[in-house]
Amino acid sequence: MITTALTFDELAALMKQAAGVTVDPRELEKAPDAPFGTLGVDSLGLLGIVGELENRYGVALPTDAERSKSPAEFLGLVNGVLQKGA
Amino acid sequence: MSTERPGRVAVTGIGVVAPNGLSADAYWKSVREGLGVLDRVTREGCEELPLKVAGEVRGFEASDLIEERFLVQTDRFSHYAMAAAQHALDDAGIARDVPEDPFSIGVVTAAGSGGGEFGQRELQKLWGQGSRFVGPYQSIAWFYAASTGQISIRSGFKGPCGVVASDEAGGLDGIAHAARAVRRGTGAVVVGAAEAPLAPYSVVCQLGYPELSTVEDPDRAYRPFTDAACGFVPAEGGAMLVVEDEQRARDRGAAVRAFVAGHGATFTGASRWRESREGLARAVRVALDDAGCAPEEIDVVFADALGVPEADRAEALAIADALGAHAARVPVTAPKTGIGRAYCGAPVLDTAAAVLAMEHGVVPPTPYVFDIRHDLDLVVSRARPAELRTALVLSRGLMGSNAALVVRRGDDSAR
Repeated sequence: MITTALTFDELAALMKQAAGVTVDPRELEKAPDAPFGTLGVDSLGLLGIVGELENRYGVALPTDAERSKSPAEFLGLVNGVLQKGA
Repeated sequence: MSTERPGRVAVTGIGVVAPNGLSADAYWKSVREGLGVLDRVTREGCEELPLKVAGEVRGFEASDLIEERFLVQTDRFSHYAMAAAQHALDDAGIARDVPEDPFSIGVVTAAGSGGGEFGQRELQKLWGQGSRFVGPYQSIAWFYAASTGQISIRSGFKGPCGVVASDEAGGLDGIAHAARAVRRGTGAVVVGAAEAPLAPYSVVCQLGYPELSTVEDPDRAYRPFTDAACGFVPAEGGAMLVVEDEQRARDRGAAVRAFVAGHGATFTGASRWRESREGLARAVRVALDDAGCAPEEIDVVFADALGVPEADRAEALAIADALGAHAARVPVTAPKTGIGRAYCGAPVLDTAAAVLAMEHGVVPPTPYVFDIRHDLDLVVSRARPAELRTALVLSRGLMGSNAALVVRRGDDSAR
């Protein structure tokens, strides 16, 4: 049973790893509705983050995850799945 | 339907990333000195392959020039192209990021292959770990059109963009394509080519070329026009130019470094070097006609110089066929022997060298080459001072494309 939740710190690390975007996790947390596009993460970058999470946790994320507009929306969707368990 | 403007097409910027220099100035210094930088191939995974000698771009730190979010989604060939484009735009005095009129600037590149290194890495994940481990940027990074897209995105240019896939000679065809775009009303086009053929998968692909030299001595691996000709060695890197409507350049006070005057292209079939004589000669005639240029006006020829005896003979004869009696007098050079052939990047580098040669009034020499077996006035050993107003650049591809470009000197004083 997976009981973990994706944090802003982990999302920031994934944005760096998968999309080459450096962002302060605290800034991300302060403005979680800032669009990914404005942050410099394009659709393929977000898809890369989704793929990394799916491989890491062995779960399938809903297709809506890769269409998320903002970190808040993305974390909501992803954590909904992760906390339900695999 | 489009109407062509009568004005001339100026070259206002040059950017180079090459084995012998990471800027146009450094490149020219090496070219003028006739420096040969061919060396052992050291790229990871290539050491045991039969290709032993090539021109590697060394000391290039992509992260010094290019933002990480572009680096993660691009192959080395695009890194070179983005860096060269940046140099060319800086040289032309055109701002990136927020261009004044983004729709007035386009991007054209030529590509012979694409992102082999990036593609190999992702394909290894595919068969090593499974499809879920292939990164999404594989979909764009390997693609031969990647550099055009990334340069336009990174710079904010929204004018006509394109990619020319016509073999090595596509480097010249791309410049002609850009010049046509300018004549049809686009203000400026960033145009050129850069390649990164020294990755294991890419090298293995090239091993099938009968023209590839696998000679192990860098001093002997690529010596066109000599009895020791044994094929060519590949190179990394390339060049990007800014070509621009002359009036627009003058209006914004930009220096006109040269003019793209004429172009011709033909096709004679893969590795059919004897037939390339007729094809190359025809390309030259078409280019001269396009430029309104008599053969006698050509002051220097930048040869294709493949290094395959039959191809070298065909080129020497093509120059004679097209230029007539003038062929025996015109200086010919092939600075690419010092760095290898960067596929589509090679003729763009030659075009950059031609502009620089005209600005400085010297014909650069042909490194590693002595004892010419053909009836050509090939410049070897050291640069030759000469008044150069018009240059002819030649290129042929392994798949059969032939192209010729006529470039005229700009009328601003040499820098």
